[in-house]
Amino acid sequence: MTDAARQEQRVTPPVAPAGTPRLAVDVRHIASRYAVIGVWAIMVLIYSLAEPGIFFTHSTFTSIFTGQYALVFMTMALLCTIIIGEFVDLSVPAVFGFAATIWPVLVTNHHWGTVPAVLVAIVAAVACGAVNGLLVVVLGVNTIVVTLGMGTLLTGLALWISSLNTVVLQPTGFEKIGTFTVGGLYISFYYGIALVLVFAYVLAYTPLGRHMRFVGASREVSRLSGVRVNRIRFGSYVMAGLISGVGAVITVATLGSYNAESSNSYLLPVFAAVFLGTAIIQPGRFNPIGTWIGVYFLYTGILGLEDLGLQQWVSDVFYGGALVVAVTISTLLRRRTT
Amino acid sequence: MTISQADGADVPGAPQHRLEVDRLSKTFGPARVLRDIQLTVAPGELHGMVGQNGCGKSTLVKILTGVYTPDPGGSIVVDGRRLRTPVQPMEQREVGVSVVHQNLGLVDDHTVWENVRLGRYQARGPFRKINGRAERDSVAAVLARLGRAIDVNAPAGTLGAEDRATIAIARAMQDHRPGGGLIIFDESTRALGKAARGRFFELVRSLIDGGTSVLLISHQLEEIVEATDRVTVLRDGQVVETGIPTKDTDEAGLTRLMLGRHLVTHSRVNSHAREGIAASVRGLSAGQVRGLDLSVKRGEIVGLTGLMGSGFEEVAEALGGARRAESGELTVGAATLSLSARRASTEHFVRAGVGYVPERRLDEGLAAELTMAENMTLPRVRSMGSPLRTGGAWQAEEARAMIAKLDIKPPRPDAPVSTLSGGNQQKVVLAKWLAGKPNLLVLREPTQAVDVGARHDIIDAIREAAKDGCGVLIASIDAADLAVLCDRVLVFRNGAVTGELSGELNQDDIIHATFGSPREEERWAG
Repeated sequence: MTDAARQEQRVTPPVAPAGTPRLAVDVRHIASRYAVIGVWAIMVLIYSLAEPGIFFTHSTFTSIFTGQYALVFMTMALLCTIIIGEFVDLSVPAVFGFAATIWPVLVTNHHWGTVPAVLVAIVAAVACGAVNGLLVVVLGVNTIVVTLGMGTLLTGLALWISSLNTVVLQPTGFEKIGTFTVGGLYISFYYGIALVLVFAYVLAYTPLGRHMRFVGASREVSRLSGVRVNRIRFGSYVMAGLISGVGAVITVATLGSYNAESSNSYLLPVFAAVFLGTAIIQPGRFNPIGTWIGVYFLYTGILGLEDLGLQQWVSDVFYGGALVVAVTISTLLRRRTT
Repeated sequence: MTISQADGADVPGAPQHRLEVDRLSKTFGPARVLRDIQLTVAPGELHGMVGQNGCGKSTLVKILTGVYTPDPGGSIVVDGRRLRTPVQPMEQREVGVSVVHQNLGLVDDHTVWENVRLGRYQARGPFRKINGRAERDSVAAVLARLGRAIDVNAPAGTLGAEDRATIAIARAMQDHRPGGGLIIFDESTRALGKAARGRFFELVRSLIDGGTSVLLISHQLEEIVEATDRVTVLRDGQVVETGIPTKDTDEAGLTRLMLGRHLVTHSRVNSHAREGIAASVRGLSAGQVRGLDLSVKRGEIVGLTGLMGSGFEEVAEALGGARRAESGELTVGAATLSLSARRASTEHFVRAGVGYVPERRLDEGLAAELTMAENMTLPRVRSMGSPLRTGGAWQAEEARAMIAKLDIKPPRPDAPVSTLSGGNQQKVVLAKWLAGKPNLLVLREPTQAVDVGARHDIIDAIREAAKDGCGVLIASIDAADLAVLCDRVLVFRNGAVTGELSGELNQDDIIHATFGSPREEERWAG
């Protein structure tokens, strides 16, 4: 048999024709990346025509770009875990709201100094993330159940410590970290941009980001390649807590008060923006810059409708509708890429 | 081609088949995974089907059960009745085709009768209440036909493997008229122990004797050879041999058919083995393997083979860091790794220079949605990059070098792995470790389901790694691969090394050593 095997000719492998077709950067490719941005522009145009002198003004511009920093922080916190394949962290707005309540309560009701109160708020948010991580990653409890329960629990605690009131902070100068104005916009807006850019950089250019994306794509492949999967998963929950905590501090500094009841109203917009983000810049993939655009896209739509005279319910309809549409688009895009 | 309804079924004595599959093909995107499948199963026949992973067996089952729609042109005929495609569940039930899946498909905390009747509950009365007594009676009747007394009210999870298999069979055959129907067992014997397996086949025999047909899909060649009447072999989506009488073949013959004769046959080259130990294993116990010692010289290529389930697979998984062994340690270079540490992390294996090419490349080897270059460089992205920057230059260089070395098509590092063909994906898995210049490379079925050209490139690359001083372990049933690559081959049986071949290897010797030794008597004892 060896002889027979030896007699068989060694055949060179069939060589594919030279110059295999390159994936040209075709029109469709660009369209799928930037379609939402195009829709954004069209939306602005339509509103401007429909509401001459009202929509396309400086005040609309500032109101769009000053208001949404809290949402930017929360979406980035959600991205931390959703990128590594943890299905949904429903507790993000509640962790945010918890931290945002602790600080003014400690300062106003218990006469703490600003710095210790701020630190306690951030540490509390990080601890909430760590507990989520412990339950989900270490003990393997279902993510939705843990974070839904955790979210409700924290909102309840926040309502309790604030006695169901909006707690107002007296100006001490610390609020400048949020209210300082640059180019007509609160500096909080720029913090959001900085966070988004850093996050995008980490994902695109650092070993940590590469590991995160692989864990999100396949835990087993990552494990067998030497990635410490559970450490990354746990770390993502902690990081989500940290971003929520810091975001809460900046938000309260900017607003000067916080009402614990408002946390829940953030849940839907956070999810709508994160899923809409998968249709922007990197189609089919959760990504920070796309999410950031999603946040402002959605708010532009709502503001325009409100300017048209529609009532408050518009935001529920818009965010809810956008979430369903965004998830559908994201599902379709993922199906196409895998 | 019997197509019309009247043929066969209504003509007494006419030659008829229980199942007749003709020119069945299935294409997914650019990939044709089944090509002109031809298969006939006679009434009262136990028909075996074998083939390597990825040969198309499960796709065929999924077409027969209506999960996939076949390409136009093929036909599926049961008892002379041509089925519409995609196969409709109701029609499938009517003609009596049913499947017992690998995990038996039982819901553990539901009772036996609930499991058996699932999907068939008869609701009665104004409140659409399930008539529990009637259901239980009908289940008891089916179990009686199978000759087994099982408490129909017991939760399925409390039963032993044998009873569970019986329940799954009861579910599969309850709609069959006695003496009719076809049951497809898709790897359903995997969970059964030796004794249970013996009784399982007694049960299957009694079905066959009653006229029911069985299509048995299995990786266990020995049970195929022991139990079936005829066997069909699939390879790369095509039927290699259809319906050869089992008595005319044996396990070695089937293995040859499954693997095929490779067109490109490398001649053996001189061994690259040299002084110095690349890796040594002491006291490895994993699965049925107990206390294995093994050392691999630098540049040496050692094959691990045996029957499926003989333990060689576990050895590879443990040494690659993919599974925790019960005991043992592995010394690679300066590092000594515990193979049984509770918190063992594959990271330590990677750092010590162990590369592991798994058997299922898309589940364990590659993230399909990420790019070729990202997949290739993953194990080193932390050690080669700085915390703030993965660094583009070394990645581009690795990708370029590996694309050239393994001739990966298309030669685009930014192509998502999902867009590559199977052979090129396998090259990327190999490249992922070769680029790191490993000390020990552990490979499982490295040329499985790849085309001729890719196999050629992969074999060359493995040799080149050995030439550079890497110790190589290849766990494979592919005797042709082992014969051209290995300096020595260890043959496993029942968890122990029962043979070692070295020097001039040829594949017939390896196959003979794997299958040839005297049969144990107790195999089907029960």
